[in-house]
Parts: sequence; C-alpha cells; structure tokens
Amino acid sequence: MLEVDGLVKRYGATLALDGVSFAVEPGQVFGFVGRNGAGKTTTMRIVLGVLAPDAGTVRWQGRALDAGVRRRIGYMPEERGLYPKMRVRDQLSYLAELHGASRRDARAATDHWVERLGLSDRARDRVETLSLGNQQRVQLAAALVHAPDVLVLDEPFSGLDPVGVDVLAEALEERVRQDGVPVVFSSHQLDLVERLCDSVGIIAAGRMEAVGRVADLRAGSRARRVRVRADAFAAADGRLADLPGVRTVGHADGAVLLELEDGTDDQAVLRAALAHGRVQEFTPVRPTLTELFREVVTP
Amino acid sequence: MTPSFWQSVRLVARREIVERGREKSLLVSTGLTLLIVLGLVLVPPALGLGDPPSYRVAFAAGAQDAVAGAREAAEQLDVELDVVDADPGAARGRVADGDLDAYLEPERIVVDEDLDVELEQVLQSASRQSRATEALADAGLDPTAVARAQAVPALPVDAIDPPDPDADARRGIVSLGTFVLYGQLIGYGFWVATGIVEEKSSRVVEVLLATVRPRALLAGKVLGIGVLALGQLLLIAVVGVVASVAAGVLDLGLSAVEPLLLLLGWFVLGFAFYACLFAAAAARVSRQEDLQSVTTPATLLVVASFLATFYVSDSPDSTAGRVLGLLPPFSALVAPVRAVGGSAEWWEAPVAVALMLLAVAGLVVLAARVYEGSVLRMGGTVGLREALRGHDQPVSRSSSARRTPG
Repeated sequence: MLEVDGLVKRYGATLALDGVSFAVEPGQVFGFVGRNGAGKTTTMRIVLGVLAPDAGTVRWQGRALDAGVRRRIGYMPEERGLYPKMRVRDQLSYLAELHGASRRDARAATDHWVERLGLSDRARDRVETLSLGNQQRVQLAAALVHAPDVLVLDEPFSGLDPVGVDVLAEALEERVRQDGVPVVFSSHQLDLVERLCDSVGIIAAGRMEAVGRVADLRAGSRARRVRVRADAFAAADGRLADLPGVRTVGHADGAVLLELEDGTDDQAVLRAALAHGRVQEFTPVRPTLTELFREVVTP
Repeated sequence: MTPSFWQSVRLVARREIVERGREKSLLVSTGLTLLIVLGLVLVPPALGLGDPPSYRVAFAAGAQDAVAGAREAAEQLDVELDVVDADPGAARGRVADGDLDAYLEPERIVVDEDLDVELEQVLQSASRQSRATEALADAGLDPTAVARAQAVPALPVDAIDPPDPDADARRGIVSLGTFVLYGQLIGYGFWVATGIVEEKSSRVVEVLLATVRPRALLAGKVLGIGVLALGQLLLIAVVGVVASVAAGVLDLGLSAVEPLLLLLGWFVLGFAFYACLFAAAAARVSRQEDLQSVTTPATLLVVASFLATFYVSDSPDSTAGRVLGLLPPFSALVAPVRAVGGSAEWWEAPVAVALMLLAVAGLVVLAARVYEGSVLRMGGTVGLREALRGHDQPVSRSSSARRTPG
C-alpha cells in the first residue's frame, strides 16, 4: 500500500500543500483531481522524491520511501518528460537502464511496451516527430518500461483523442488488475476518473477536501436528493416542499428536485406524493463527480 | 538492482556520447574546425609566407667579383639570389617595371622605390669587397694574398642559455592550439548548457531525477560531452600535425608531442571548470531563449583568457603574464603559452595546475548546489542566492523526508 501522510510544502510565503494525506491499495486506481495549482503535481513530485516535503512522509508497504523504492515507481510528468530529439526505442531503453535493468532486459522491455502500445512502426523515429497522442503513448511506455511497483501519472490523458484514451486506459487497467500495481493519476477529465478510479481525492488550495471511494463520496457527500415527477406538483405545486425536512432545489423537464435533510424518511415523502395522485418517477439522485468537484472547489 | 552512483554516471555519459555523436552539428563543427586548422597550417606556405626572401638582380658588365661576392653573402644570409643578365641600356627600365629588384652599377645600386634590408646587405657587402680588392690591387698588393688573409673562420658563438631550436615550432603549435582550445571551451561549454536546458524545458529532468541523483546526472553530462570534446580535439591535433609534417611546415617529430600534451591536459582542466560554470548557469533557466543572458559571464571569461594569451605571448616576462599563467581560469589558456615561451620558472606549471584543480574542485561543489537548487524550478531565471539556498533541494535519501511533528 502507498501511503501519503500529512505532506506540507511551502514555496516561500505560499503554502502549496497543507497536510495532504491519502492511501492507495495494491490493485487500486486513485484519481487525483483539483484545479490547476491546487497541489497535485507538487504532491506527485514529492512521492517521486524529486521534491522534498517540509513535513510529512510517503510510505510504501509501511516503510518510508527510500531511493531504492523510488526507482520502482513509474512516473509520467504532466507535460513532455521525454528527450524531443531522442529516438523512441533508445529513449525507453535508456530509462529502463537508468532504473537498473541490464541492457538486454531494457531492450526486451522496450520492445514489449512499444508493441503493446502500438508504437512499433515509430520506434526508430525521434520523439519530436510523433503526434501528441503517440508522444503520450511513449510517455506511458516510459513510465511502464521498468516494470514499476507503483505508477504515478500526472495528467496522462490530457489532449488525447477518445481512441487514445481507450488504448492508454486499457494498458493501465491491465497493469492494475493483472499485477496489482497501485496507480495514482491526476486528471481534469472527471468522467474518466469516475470510470477508471476506485477512489478519488479532491484537492483544493493544497488541502485534501474529500478522499474516498467514488461511490461513498457520491452517497455521503451531502443531503440526499430525489427527483420526483408526480401529479402532486402539477396539481398543487410546492406542496411537498412544505413537508418537514424537505426543500425544493430545482426543476427540470417537469420534474422537481427535492433535497431531504438527514433523518427525513424518503418513503414518507413518496406516500405524501401518492396521496395527491399518480407518481411517474421517484428517483434518488446522486451527484456526479463533476458536481461534487464543483461544490468542493468553489468557495 | 539499483544502479550505483557511477553506474548512473556511466549511463548518462554514454547517452550523451551516443546521442550527440549522431548529431549532424558535431560532424559539421568537426569538419569546420579541421578546415580552419588545415587552412592555418597549409595556406601560409602555399602563399610563400615564411619562405626565405628571393630577389632578382642584374649586375653591370665586368662585375664578376661582385657577383661571386653577392652569391656568397646571399648564402650566408639565407637569401635567394637570382642573378640575370641585363642589357645596360634596358636595365634601369626593367627595374622600374619591377622585373628586377635591383641593378648594381659600379657606382650605385639602382632600385625602383627602396632597397630591402637583406638585399642591401648582400649587395653592399659584395660591392664593398670587390671595390676593396680593386683598391688593394691598385695599391700593388697581391689580391690572392689579401683574399687568403681575409679568409679567416668566423668566430664561434658560445651561448650561455641557448634557445631551443624547436621553440618557434612549439610556439606555433601552442598558439594554434590555444585558438582551437578557445573554440572548444566555448562550443562544448554551450553544449553542456543547452543540454541542461533541453532536459529542463522538456521536463525529462523530472523523470530522470526520480531515479538518478542530480550530481550523477550533472557529472555524466559533463563527462560525456567532455569525452566527445577531447576526442574531437585529439582528431584535430593528429590531423593538424600530420598535415604540417606532410606539408613540410613542421620539422619536428617528438618535440611536437610535449606542447600537444600540454594543450590537451589544460583542455581537460579548463573544460572541467567551464563546463561546471555553464552547467550552473543553464540550470537557472527553463528556456533556450534565456540561456544567452545567464551564460554571458562564462563566455566573457573564456574570451578574456583568449585575449590574454596574445598579451602574454608578446610580453611573456611581465608580472601580469606570470599572474595570468597561474590564476584560474585564465591559466587554462595562458599557462601553455607561457610554458612553451621558455620564460616560465620550473615551479609555475605545477602551481598553476594545483590552483586550477582547487578551483575546479570548489566549482564542482558550487555548481552541483546551484544545479540541484534550480534544475526543478520552472519559469523565470532562478536567482543565484535562491539556487544556493536550494530549499527545493531534491532528495535521494529517505532521511531528508522529515516526519510531521506531533
């Protein structure tokens, strides 16, 4: 398990990280979301040991990360992170060797990932001549080529077309499900985060505002809401909102969105609606990750 | 398996050598430098520069003694004399046309504008001798007896501190070598600088520093580029010497080795110094456009050292020359000039090397700190003080990650 515990980082007078903590289990994908400048990249750089925190620790399997473990992390920085003029194959092989692979193993691993990520026909080209999508595949290959125990990926999907996203996501999920490699990745594509991640952390201004399983966050983040389409509203608009613990928060397509306070029985609300006529729809509404994110990050 | 510090250095250096070795710019710069060196070696002799002066002269009729005397004097003075027959009526005209350098009449030497010093010596001594012989004959003395009396051997010269006969050739090698060294220091210093900015601007440095310590990355880069530079220098030296010997410009075998070794040795020291300087400067910026302004001080130092070599070869015994030959980093270019100038005391070379080594050692530590303190800061130019304080110092040991208090 990868544990990030109470990271604090100051840049001069700016507090970039203010006690950032989260944990990623083996075989889990952790999505790291937040606005630009919220502290995602700083956190990742600290995990990689590229930056030193002012306080806090990063642990792997219960022990503080040392240089030996850090070499076992596959890292993909936010932009580029490759030598533009170096050839794909040489580059990947070089990175594998820097991580301690022998020349032969490095070549073999390179060939494997080049093929797996569909880069075979570009393997001898300079990185700068590749399309953005292909460069990103090379980046992912660079993060994977030394068979890392942990993956830390900063914005791996930004700027990719949907097919590219699928190829990358598939390769990633394979590593996670087959080999149990924990993955931390940051992204602004929240639908993607929701699709790929087991748990997420929402960071704002250097603080973790919400951490947990996506389902738990969606369920427990705030008061329950139900969307109700019923005669009750057509006949006597707003009557249900008079019930104790119920508040109307919106209308959409002839339906009404109600928010139920803690302890309010949704069945009582349903019965009240039925008492006024037919009920076509009574749906508990969970916030999407995007909605959660907006709520958390907008002050 | 975790690679050791030196394994990482070796990998980084190998990448530099392989990748840079493939670049066209290396081939182009090698080719250009070779062309310049070959040009400097081969063009002057082709233009006749450095050959003994040669003159075409004519003598008035009946001056056989003077002709013989002139030939003799010319040989002694290492002057080539081409004696032609000239019709007395046309001789003056041929001098005026430039066909003849001089026409010796019994009473005067006819020239177009003025008389070269060497030719004047030759003609005057020839004329003086023939007239003296004539005067002696007129006085009734036997000219052959006079000639015998005059044929005394020249006095031997006993030099207390004789100059090295090869000194000029060695000085030539060093002054050409200094020029090449100057180019290499600036060129390869800039390579180190652009390489570092390339890693920074492409953010490769983040990926690398996750597995390589900053010092290993810096050392590997400097060593790799240094090996390339030294290789190129060796190639230039070999081609230069072979061309010189083949063209007959250089008439020395083994004594060319000493100044060349001197130059190569000082290149290694100088490159170590300047590479660190360029590296530290480059780590402070994130874009190639900003490179010029931060590397200017280093460039100026190289240029100043190069200019100093002209001053020192002109006045090798001056105090300033001696100081420049000892003081890093000027010594990198000045010390070889002084060493072959023959004016250096025996202790100067070891002291200069020791001082340079000290300077390099200090600069390596300083450059590594600036590098570590600024290589991950993106954006504008990182201030020197900020870089040295290095509160962003990357970690490679777990001990530097402190626990949260409480």
